[in-house]
Amino acid sequence: MPGPRIFSLSVLMLVSSLTHAGDKPLRQVIDAEIKAGWQKEKVAPAARSSDSVFLRRVYLDLVGVIPSYDETTTFLKDADSQKRQKVIDKLLADPRYGPQQAHYWDLVLFGRRPQNIFDTRKHDSFTKWMAGEFVKNEPYDRIVKKMLSAEEEGSEMFYVQYRNAPEEAATAVARVFLGTQLQCARCHDHPFEHWTQKDFFGMAGFFVRLVVTDNGGPEGKRKFKIGEKSTGDVLFAASVKDLKPGQKGDPVKPKFLGGAELKEPEIPKGFKEPPLKGGVAPPKPSFSRKEKLAEWVVAKENPYFAKALANRIWSQFMGRGFVHPVDDLGSEQKVPSHPALLKAIAERLIEHKFDLKLAIREIVNSDAYQIGDTGPATEAMPTMYERARVRPLSVEELMPSLRVATAYDPAWMKNTGDYSEYFMRYFGEPNDGQGHFQGSLSEHLFLNNAPMIRQFAQPRKGNLADTLVTMKAPWEEKVERMFLSVLSRTPTAVERERFVKHLSGDAKIAPQLVEEAIWVLLSCSEFRFNR
Amino acid sequence: MLRLLTLGMILIVVPVTQAQPASFADAKLVWTLPWDADWVTAVSFVGNDRIAAANKVGDMLVWNLPAAPGDKAPQPAHRLAGHTNEITRLLTTPDQRRLISASLDHSILLWDMKADLTEKASVVVLNERARYEAESRKKKMPAAIEVTVSVQKKSGELIGHKDWVLGLSMTPDGKTLVSGADRVVGPKKEKEGEIIVWDLPAGKEVRRWHTKGWPWGLAVSPDGQTVVASERIPLVFDSGSRSALMLWNAQTGEMKADLSKEIKERMSGAAYSPDGKWLAVCRGGEANGLSGKITLLDPATGKKLRETAPGHLDGATDMAFHPDGKHIFSAGRDTTVKIWQLADGKHVRDLGQGRGGQFKDWICAIAISPDGRRLAAADMAGMVHIWVLSK
Amino acid sequence: MFPTNTTGEHLGRRAFLKGALATAGGMAVANWGGLFNSQTIAQEAARQNKRCILLWANGGASQIDTFDMKPGRPTGGPFRPIQSNVNGIQVCEYLPLMARMTDKLAIIRSMRTQSPDHPDGIYHMHTCYKQNDRMPHPEIGAMIAKYLGNPEADLPSFVRMGSTGNAGSGYLGPRFEPFHIGQDGRLPYFSEPSVTPQVQERRTDLLNFMEREHAREHRAEAFESHRLAEQRALRLMRARQVFNTNEEWPRARDRYGNSTFGRGCFMARKLIEAGVPFVEVGQENYDSHADNFTVHKANMDVLDPAWSGLLQDLQERNLLANTLVVWMGEVGRTPYINNRAGRDHFIRAWTIVLAGGGVRGGQAYGSTDRDGREVVDNPVTEGDLFATIYTALGINPRVRHYVGARPIWATPEGSRPVRALLS
Repeated sequence: MPGPRIFSLSVLMLVSSLTHAGDKPLRQVIDAEIKAGWQKEKVAPAARSSDSVFLRRVYLDLVGVIPSYDETTTFLKDADSQKRQKVIDKLLADPRYGPQQAHYWDLVLFGRRPQNIFDTRKHDSFTKWMAGEFVKNEPYDRIVKKMLSAEEEGSEMFYVQYRNAPEEAATAVARVFLGTQLQCARCHDHPFEHWTQKDFFGMAGFFVRLVVTDNGGPEGKRKFKIGEKSTGDVLFAASVKDLKPGQKGDPVKPKFLGGAELKEPEIPKGFKEPPLKGGVAPPKPSFSRKEKLAEWVVAKENPYFAKALANRIWSQFMGRGFVHPVDDLGSEQKVPSHPALLKAIAERLIEHKFDLKLAIREIVNSDAYQIGDTGPATEAMPTMYERARVRPLSVEELMPSLRVATAYDPAWMKNTGDYSEYFMRYFGEPNDGQGHFQGSLSEHLFLNNAPMIRQFAQPRKGNLADTLVTMKAPWEEKVERMFLSVLSRTPTAVERERFVKHLSGDAKIAPQLVEEAIWVLLSCSEFRFNR
Repeated sequence: MLRLLTLGMILIVVPVTQAQPASFADAKLVWTLPWDADWVTAVSFVGNDRIAAANKVGDMLVWNLPAAPGDKAPQPAHRLAGHTNEITRLLTTPDQRRLISASLDHSILLWDMKADLTEKASVVVLNERARYEAESRKKKMPAAIEVTVSVQKKSGELIGHKDWVLGLSMTPDGKTLVSGADRVVGPKKEKEGEIIVWDLPAGKEVRRWHTKGWPWGLAVSPDGQTVVASERIPLVFDSGSRSALMLWNAQTGEMKADLSKEIKERMSGAAYSPDGKWLAVCRGGEANGLSGKITLLDPATGKKLRETAPGHLDGATDMAFHPDGKHIFSAGRDTTVKIWQLADGKHVRDLGQGRGGQFKDWICAIAISPDGRRLAAADMAGMVHIWVLSK
Repeated sequence: MFPTNTTGEHLGRRAFLKGALATAGGMAVANWGGLFNSQTIAQEAARQNKRCILLWANGGASQIDTFDMKPGRPTGGPFRPIQSNVNGIQVCEYLPLMARMTDKLAIIRSMRTQSPDHPDGIYHMHTCYKQNDRMPHPEIGAMIAKYLGNPEADLPSFVRMGSTGNAGSGYLGPRFEPFHIGQDGRLPYFSEPSVTPQVQERRTDLLNFMEREHAREHRAEAFESHRLAEQRALRLMRARQVFNTNEEWPRARDRYGNSTFGRGCFMARKLIEAGVPFVEVGQENYDSHADNFTVHKANMDVLDPAWSGLLQDLQERNLLANTLVVWMGEVGRTPYINNRAGRDHFIRAWTIVLAGGGVRGGQAYGSTDRDGREVVDNPVTEGDLFATIYTALGINPRVRHYVGARPIWATPEGSRPVRALLS
C-alpha cells in the first residue's frame, strides 16, 4: 500500500515549507509559477486584459453579473493605477458576493440534477445558508465541518441528497471535499488507483447511520433534519455471486480514507434505538460517526482537504484546475500542471485558516487572472493559462446580466410572464459532461423567437432601447452606449461604422432597428461567455 | 312553475311506491355455484328454475335450481358446447325455449332448451383454476371437484359478424334480435362497429349498419323501432379515440339521435324497460371513484332524466329491469349488485359487498327470473350467485 | 444499391461548399472529410447512411397478446394467433398486416430486464443503464445522433414524437438533445420565427458581422460551438417545411392508418429520408392494468397499419436495408390476467421486435415457457439489446466517454451483441 506513505510524506513537506511561507504575497507566487510554466512549455501568453475585459470578468466571477453602464464608464474613466485592486476590494465587500459564491458551490454540491431529486430539487434554504457563510467570510474548513455535521439550520440539505444512500454520500464527500474519485472502488478494487473496496465501504460506514427526517413544508422550504442512529453497519461481500440467499455480506468498520479504522466504543448490550420522528430534533447517538468524519475531513493533517480546495478555487477563477478534472487529485496517474503552485496555495490556505476571501483576492489580483482573452489557443480552458478561460454564463448569471445590459425593470416580468423555467431548460447545462461548452438548438431557437428576449431588446420606458431611441445624440454616441451597456466595452471603429449603418438605415423604423441591434449584442457569443 | 309541478308529481308518487312490498329487504343469497375454470361472464334464466351461465373461454353450463331456498346447492346438469372464446351475452326467448349466446369467437349461437339433453356425458372440473394456480405456484394441489354433465350442441347460428360480438338485445315478443360487433377493418377505412337486426323466428338478417366506434352497450326498444348503441375505441392521445351514444332507426339503419353531447362517458351497458318507459345506460370501464353510475333517459327524446348515486366503484357492467316495472338492478366492478327505484332514482339496497382490496372482482352480468323472484349474478372469481329476491 | 434522392435535400450550405462525393448509384453524399479528419470519406459516407426508427409502446405492450401468444393456456387471453409469412411464427390476429411482413422481423421473445416500473423502465430501455445508477446516461437517440448524425445537417439528429424518453442526451450534451415535434409536425416552442424574414435576415447579417469580428482574435471552440448552434437554429427555421405533412398525409393515410401514431410513423419515414439518423415515435395507451384486451385491440388496430406501412414504405424507397426499426416499450405485461381484465408490468420474459437495417428478419429469437412466465432459452438483457442495435448500426457498443474523471461505456460491462439477430 504505497498510498498512505506518500501522503504522510507530503504532509511533512507541507509543514516544513510553512516556515518560509508568507514571504511573498500569494499573487506574486502565482505569477512567478505561471510565468515559469510558459517558459518551460514555450508558450506565448496573451497580453494583459483590457480594462473592459477585466471588469466584466471580475464582476461575473465575484458578484455574478456584468457591470452596469455606469459602473463600466466610471471604471474606464478612472485614471487610478490601483483601480483594479480597488474594484476587487469593492466587489469582495459587495452584498452580491456571498450569493454568487453560494451559487458556484451550489453547482458543485448539487448540480442541475441533484440526487434524491424530489427532496432536493429546490433547496433555497441551503443556498441561503451558504450565502450567509460567504458573506461573513466563514473559514472554509468551518463551513465544510458544519455541512458535514448538518446541525445548523439550512445546512442539512447536502446529506438529504444521499438519503438512504451511504455509498453515494461517501463518493460525494471524497470527490467534492477531498478531490478523490472513489466510485470505481465500489464494484471492484480500483483498476488504476490504489483504492480498494474496503476503502470505499470504509468511507460509506460513516454515513450508513444517517437518517433524514422530513419535517414537512412546501417544496423548496421543506425542513429536513439529519439524525444519526447508534447502530448499523455497511455490509460488504467481495462478490455478490458468492452470497447465499438471505446472506448480505459482512459488516465493515468505518475507515478514514487512506487512514486508520475508526475506533468506536462498543454498543451497550440490550441497546434500543430511540424512535425518530419528523418535527422533532433527532436524538443524539451514543457515539457519532458523522462528527468524527467531519473532524477528520477538515483536519489540518488531512492530506487531501487543503489541496482539494486549492485546486477547486483555482479552477473556479482560472477555468482549469492544476489537476483536471478538478476533483480527481487522488489519482496517482495525474500530475498537476503546476505542482509547486498547487502546493503553495494549499499551504497558504492552511496558514490563513482557510480564509476564502483572502485567497480569492490574491488570485484575482494576479496577472495570471488578469491576462487577456485573445490569442490562437482553441481550448476553452488552456492548460498553461496562457489566455483567459472561456466559460458560458450560468443561468443565474445570464438572467441578471440581461437585465443589467438592457436596464430591464424586473417588475415588468409580472405582466409578461416568467420564463425562468425555459431558461433553465435551455441554458442550464450547456456542456457535454466534460465541461466543454455545447451550444444547443433550443437555446438559439429561444434567443431568436422567445417573446422574453424581445422584451429585453424592445423599447420600454426607461430601458436601454428606449434611451437610445429617445436620446438626442448622434448614432455614433448611441452605438457607444449600446456597446458599453451590453458588452461593457466601446465599439471598434469597424463596429461603430457597421452599427451606425444599420441603425440609420431607415428613420421610420428606428425603434425596430434599435431592437435588432440590441438583440444582436445579446445573442452574440461575446455576451454568452465570461472570458 | 315547472319545478313545482314536478315536485308535486313526486309527492304524489311517493305514497304509491311506499305501498309497494318490494323493498327487497328480505333478499337473500341462497346458493353460490362454483365454476372457476375462468371468469363467469354471462347468465340467463331459462324459466324460473333453470340458470344458464357462460364463461371467458366459451364454455356454458346449465343448473336446475331446487324449489326451496334451503336446499343444497345444485350441481351443473348440462354443458352447452360450441363457442371457442369468451361469451359476452346470454338471452332467453320469452317462450323460455331458446337460449341465445354471443361471443368473442364472432358467432351468435342458438340453443334449444327443450331438446333432449342426454346426448353425451362429459366431466366438468369445478375447481380447475384453483388446481392450475396451485400447480404453477408449486403448492399442494386440491383434489378435483368433478361433475358429470350431459353435453348439448347448438341448434342454430346467426351468421353475420366478423369480430367480437359484444351486444345482444331482444324485443319482449322475441321477434326481433339486435346484435353488435366490433369490426376491425383495414387501414383504408375508418374503424367501425357493426349492428345487425335479425328476424329471430326466421333466423334471418333484416338490416345491418356500421358505427364509427365499437358498439359496447346495445339495446333494442320493446317496439323494435329503435336501437341504442354506445360506442368506444379505447385509445388515449390518438385521433382514433372515440366514445359515443346514438339512437338508430332499427328499420332503416339511420341515425335518429346523437346523444354524445349529453352523455360523454363511455357506456358499458344499455337497456330498455319491458314497458318501454325507460332507457337506461350505465357507465363502464375504469373511471375515477364512484363513477359507475346508471343514467335514466327518456326513450323518446334521449333526454337525461336522472342519474343514480352512488355508482359502482370502477364502473358498471350490466343492468336488468325488474318485472315489477319499478326497479332496475345494476352490477359492477365492485362485486355488488345495486337495486334502484326507477321513479326517483333512489338507491334501495346492495346485494353483496365489495370483496376488499383496492381492486375488486367484477360481477360481469346479472339476470332476473321471469317471475321476478330470483336473481343470478355472474362472478369473475368463478361463481354464479343465486339470490332470492322475494318469497 | 444506394437509395437515390435521400440525404441530399437537407444538407447544410457549408457541406455543399466543401464538395460532394459521387457514389456508384449516383447519389450525392456529402464530403465529411473536412470535418472528420481522422476518418476516411468512404467510412463516413457509409456510416451516414445508417438510420434508426424507434417505435415506442409507451406503458409497455403485452407480449402474449402480440408476438408471443399462448393460445389455449390460462394466460392466453381472448386473442387468437394467425400464421405469419414465416413458417412456424404466429402473431396476433389483430396484426394481420404485420403477419405479412414477418419475414422482415427479428422477434426477440426472451427479453429479461431489470426495471419494472415506468420512469425507471423508460430510462433503462432508453439508455440500457439503470436510472439509480445516478449517471447522466444519454438515450439511444442521442448516442445514434452523435455517431450517425451529420453535424452540418439542417435538421436535428434526434427527433422525437411523443413524450416517451426521460434521459435526454445526458453526458453527450445539448447538441444531441431530442428535438420534440408533434406527430402532426407541430414544432416545439420557439421554433416558429418571431420576426419577419426581412427582420431576421437583417439582424442575422448584423449578428454574423459581430461573430466574424469577434472570431478574429477569439479562437476558443466554445465560441465556435455557440456560432454553429445559432446557424443550426436558423437553418432549422428555414427547413421547417419538412415537418409539414399536411399535403402528403391524405395519400399516406391509406397506408399508415388514420391515426396520430400512423401519422407519426409517416413523419418518421419522411425525416429518415431527409437524413435524420434517429426518430422516435411514441404510441401511448399500452399501460393496461385494466381492460388489457380492448386496449390492446385498439392499439394494434393503430399499430398494425402504421408499422407495416412504415416498413413497406421504407422498403419501396430502398431505405429499409439501412434503417433499423425497433419496436419496444419499457416493460412487458404479466402473463397473469388480473381482476381488472388487465395485465400488469412484467420484466422476466417479454418481447421486443427489430426489423430492417442490419438485422436478420424472419426469426423468433429465444422463447418462453408454455404460460409465458419465464424465459426458456437465450435470455436477452437491456445491454445485449443495445449492443445488438449499436452493432447493427455500425456503432461500437463499447465506445467510451467520460463524465468528469469517470469513464463510461455505451453499454454496461458484460453486454454482448446477439449475433444471431444480426444479418
